[in-house]
Amino acid sequence: MTTTVSVQNRARWGVAAFVLALAPVIAPAQEYEPAPATTAASTAAPAAKRRPPGGIGYETSFPEIKSGKWTGKRLPDGQPDVAGDWSNTIGNHDNFTDPQGGIPGDPAPAARTRKLGPREERAPSRVSDPADGEIPYQPWARAKQQEFAVGFFNAVKPEYIEPLARCAPSGIPKSFFWHGYEIRQYPGYVVFLFGSGWRIIHLDGKPHLPANIKLWNGDSRGHWEGNTLVVDVSNNNSKARFSRTGDFASENVHIVERYIFSADNKRYNYVATFTDPTVYTRPFTVTVPSRRWTLNDPKNDWHFPVVAANSPGKEAIPDHVERICVENNGGFGQLAVQAKKN
Amino acid sequence: MIMREKLSLNLKNTSRRSQSLGLGLSAALAACFLASPVLAASDGDAIVGKIPRVAGGKPDFSGIWQTTSAADQGLEPHEARKGAPPSAGIVDGDVIPYTPAALEKKKKNYEARAKDDPRLKCWTLGTPRGIYYPEPFQIFQRTQDLTLVFEFGDSVRTIHTDGTLHPVDTDNEFWLGDSRGHWEGDTLVVDVRDFNDQTWLSRVGDFHDEALHVVERWKLIDANTIDYKATIEDPKVYSRPWNIEVYLYRHREKNFQLIENYCYTLDYDQYYPIPKPQ
Repeated sequence: MTTTVSVQNRARWGVAAFVLALAPVIAPAQEYEPAPATTAASTAAPAAKRRPPGGIGYETSFPEIKSGKWTGKRLPDGQPDVAGDWSNTIGNHDNFTDPQGGIPGDPAPAARTRKLGPREERAPSRVSDPADGEIPYQPWARAKQQEFAVGFFNAVKPEYIEPLARCAPSGIPKSFFWHGYEIRQYPGYVVFLFGSGWRIIHLDGKPHLPANIKLWNGDSRGHWEGNTLVVDVSNNNSKARFSRTGDFASENVHIVERYIFSADNKRYNYVATFTDPTVYTRPFTVTVPSRRWTLNDPKNDWHFPVVAANSPGKEAIPDHVERICVENNGGFGQLAVQAKKN
Repeated sequence: MIMREKLSLNLKNTSRRSQSLGLGLSAALAACFLASPVLAASDGDAIVGKIPRVAGGKPDFSGIWQTTSAADQGLEPHEARKGAPPSAGIVDGDVIPYTPAALEKKKKNYEARAKDDPRLKCWTLGTPRGIYYPEPFQIFQRTQDLTLVFEFGDSVRTIHTDGTLHPVDTDNEFWLGDSRGHWEGDTLVVDVRDFNDQTWLSRVGDFHDEALHVVERWKLIDANTIDYKATIEDPKVYSRPWNIEVYLYRHREKNFQLIENYCYTLDYDQYYPIPKPQ
């Protein structure tokens, strides 16, 4: 297994990026890499060691990270230095509450997912509170979510097509489990560069945007508490679904995110509280385990879409391929445009 | 009206600059000796007053920037059109040296601009158009790179300043190109290659092909103004390299921030109503 990505792969990744970008439209199967068999999942060894980071969801459990002091390296402005490449460890957005359970109602599950073992051998729900792992929808909202979930495989209405499939931003929280992404930090800012859009977290305490401005990624104000980046998100247009299971919020949603980084700076847990009295019966908490990726990791275009930069004679430096969902640049009918071009 | 006032101010400054370059330069250089620890590079306008610098002394381009020029309405000098203010242009020598065949294509683009301008579809504007497009962009600066986040379409461009080179394979056909920069004194010089042919240079149909090569020169001439120059070459489209120059001004309004503008979603926004109880 090579430990660095060769420069020659760059052109191929350029093509792969486009394929991945279009995957939700063409065939979700292309995005769901087969994971190793689940039979070893019952051993007592730490999850990260049981499965090499090959597929998308390669952990079935993950450690809690406690909020506390930051003892690692800091940037000159005092922020904990957490810059770099990150990705979630338990699965993509196929299924919000059963991240390794495939897409409910999938007419061809075998093609898309590995054979499912018992629920307890798969990663837990991303809903860590309430304890049943379910989003506490009001009855009408539960019915709407299930309507979306059924519609995912039978898009007889435009709203059943996931906006991400049209290159809309993944939004919150889906951006944290749709491909790997990068964190860059600056005095006063933490910047997330996702595969589908960016978020600028303002650390300077300025007020939120006026309430009538609604955005795909909301408006973010953050501050550091020891090892934890705390971010208050408002102004969310809530058009991005959480998953392919139709989970949603309304534009009234208020999200408080806690990014809790481990002492070794190799992992963080995203722990976010969603409050929206117009859709849910109570606030709920979403937890997404995430880990750092470097060029020392095995090649993985889903989690770590980089190549080694052309830097002869120097240590390997990751180069990030232009983050443009090519369909953005084609609008509807991009598939036809592509076909004509090829 | 406000736009036009700003524009005339800008033009006035430009003409004064070119008429009294000798005198102005020496005066400004003297000021620079007093105020700035690093001597200004010889190209472009001289630095006036103190400019922000990062630890280590390089100029600090961090901030939110925007042109007040009408460059996107046409890089060459033009009279007023409906919906577009007049402009003395930003092309050195006034004329883009299109080859005869390319000039024909540019004219066709102009006729079809109300339909074919990639801006209207919110496609990525590319390089250099994103820089002088009349919508703000933010520069985030580290030692190893500058990250340019464009409000329009939310595209992100990285200028690498870590000594890395263009990729060995140059057929990636990027929208924004592959940007590798280095410092020449206080000027950031950026070599940009590896483009696709999908972007325009203005809303009047100025265009390029995949052979586009852009060399940018970024320089802070005071704390709140960037003198942005670019040399543009593409042997498939132009008979020789040509130059543009435009000023970028810092947004200093209280609490000013980029507001995400994923404008390509506007056409399908209507299909995603927020669910409500029946």
